[in-house]
Amino acid sequence: MAEAPGGAGAPRAVLHDIRYSRWSGTLRPRPTAVASFVASSVRRPLGLRRSAGSKVWPFLLLAVAYLPALAVVAVPLLVPQVTLQPTELISYPNLLATNGVVLLAFVATAIPSMLTRDRRDRVLALYFATAVSWVEYLVGTFLAALSLLAIIVLGPMLVLFVGSIATADDPGRWVADNAADLPRIVLAAAVVTLFHTVLGLLVGALTSRRVFAVGGYLAVVLVAPVVTVLLATVLGDEWPLALDPASGPIRLAASIVDGSISGPGGLAWVVWALVVVGGSAVVAARYSRGSDT
Amino acid sequence: MSIEAAAPPGLECVQVSKTFGSVTALDRLSVTFSAPATGLLGANGAGKSTLLRTALGLARPDAGQLRVLGLDAVADRREVRRRVGFMPEHPCLPADLSAQDVCVQLARMRGLGRRDAVRRTSEVLFAVGLEEERRRPVGSYSLGMQQRTKLAQALVHGPDLVLLDEPTSGLDPAGREEMLTIVRRLSSDLGIRVIASSHVLEDIERTCDEVVVLRSGTLAAQRPVQVEQALTGPVELAVSGDVGEFARALEPLLAPLGIRVAPTATGDIGLDRSSDEALDVVRDLAASRGVGLQHLVSASRGLEDVVVDAMGVHGG
Repeated sequence: MAEAPGGAGAPRAVLHDIRYSRWSGTLRPRPTAVASFVASSVRRPLGLRRSAGSKVWPFLLLAVAYLPALAVVAVPLLVPQVTLQPTELISYPNLLATNGVVLLAFVATAIPSMLTRDRRDRVLALYFATAVSWVEYLVGTFLAALSLLAIIVLGPMLVLFVGSIATADDPGRWVADNAADLPRIVLAAAVVTLFHTVLGLLVGALTSRRVFAVGGYLAVVLVAPVVTVLLATVLGDEWPLALDPASGPIRLAASIVDGSISGPGGLAWVVWALVVVGGSAVVAARYSRGSDT
Repeated sequence: MSIEAAAPPGLECVQVSKTFGSVTALDRLSVTFSAPATGLLGANGAGKSTLLRTALGLARPDAGQLRVLGLDAVADRREVRRRVGFMPEHPCLPADLSAQDVCVQLARMRGLGRRDAVRRTSEVLFAVGLEEERRRPVGSYSLGMQQRTKLAQALVHGPDLVLLDEPTSGLDPAGREEMLTIVRRLSSDLGIRVIASSHVLEDIERTCDEVVVLRSGTLAAQRPVQVEQALTGPVELAVSGDVGEFARALEPLLAPLGIRVAPTATGDIGLDRSSDEALDVVRDLAASRGVGLQHLVSASRGLEDVVVDAMGVHGG
């Protein structure tokens, strides 16, 4: 800004530099700020607002996850001779089990790196110094991870539920008869997504290298089933199967929906609670100093 | 726009200590940064980065109190975060996001609404000269562009204080020139307090009003960058020919004026004061003896001398 030279005391024209000025507007409440962090954290693993190449893998997994549900809904809709309901073609527990591998692949590639990439990029110094507290950061990351997994786990089941309404002879009656399925579906999805969200973030919190995080998560969910099956075989008892982190939460979820897969018993719930509560505590402890390292 | 004189200091340390294992990074440091723009100087390991990190809440002081803009750096973290901008020295930007997305995301995380965040991002990226390249991934930027992106994100939420850690690090001469111009504008035109850490004294001289020198985690020196040179202060004089003979001739002429003549460490002639009358005597004597005046300069210690001494460059 410069004032034109001139005579004494007379008002003069003023040139304003409009390129940059101070900003003094009102800031939004913190939950709004955290919500925006959640939104950006959801977009990034999906490759949104990034190159086309970074969208391929996540959207391929999404397509595979939704394909069974869309197929069993499309067939009765497009082929009038098929009188079966979508839920008769594939049940909710079977859909969960079918998508199990997709879920593990998605968690391995997306969830741990939500923490490792911020340490790799060294962006935590900016976050913790000038943007969010460590609690807001973890809550935001947790909600973003939970939302991403809900898209994979809950989404196909909702497609199946809504598709069943659409293909029913009497949709109103079908809804009245099956309305109780909806909260069970949501609860079952919550059991699976909570477990894998915490497990994925736990692995991501323990290393700053993405490759180690992916490998660590895969080691847990691929090696543990082999070990538990071996243990069950050696002991001649089924209880070690409850320790399997890959199928355990899905079996719990299935038992919530309709019990079509045999219930894993109380031990599986104990393992689930230990991972969710203990894992959350470890992740919180890892970041509780508010340090960027 | 200027910074009110009554505003609290940008940074105030009272007996602040911080150790990492056996290494003492800050040793009962007490210093107040009250100038609109303060340069933080010191050798590697002097405690500059630890002081900035402690002020930002990235490290907790072991002892003492640290206030940022009058707020307790530990107890009032949320308010400090809201009012402070930070430009780290190290790379700190997600390589796969564009400068636009980085700034919008950080602005929103700091509490700006979407429209404000986008508008402010456009303004700051324009101000730092990145308006053309704002949609390219940061990973494809040159070092200078990354530095400017870091500065832009530090300003996007309209902070009252910005902490700049080596803002010209790695920049080419043109980029450095632009960066120094922008940094100077922050405090002089926009009323934003600036604390800039640097190894380069010239950068501090061009952008700051005050310099603070740290050594081994303690305050070694603090003084304004611009000091009014006393017009009648001590001077050093060098002449052609026999210096000793000229000094002997000069001494009785200056004695009635109460001015002492003594040799300097560099072999020149030192005058402990330099009134107009004394300078006239020097000029007339030189003219009468046909001696040339090689230089006649103030003997006041400059900023560089003070900083070099404080940093212990010679003495270790």
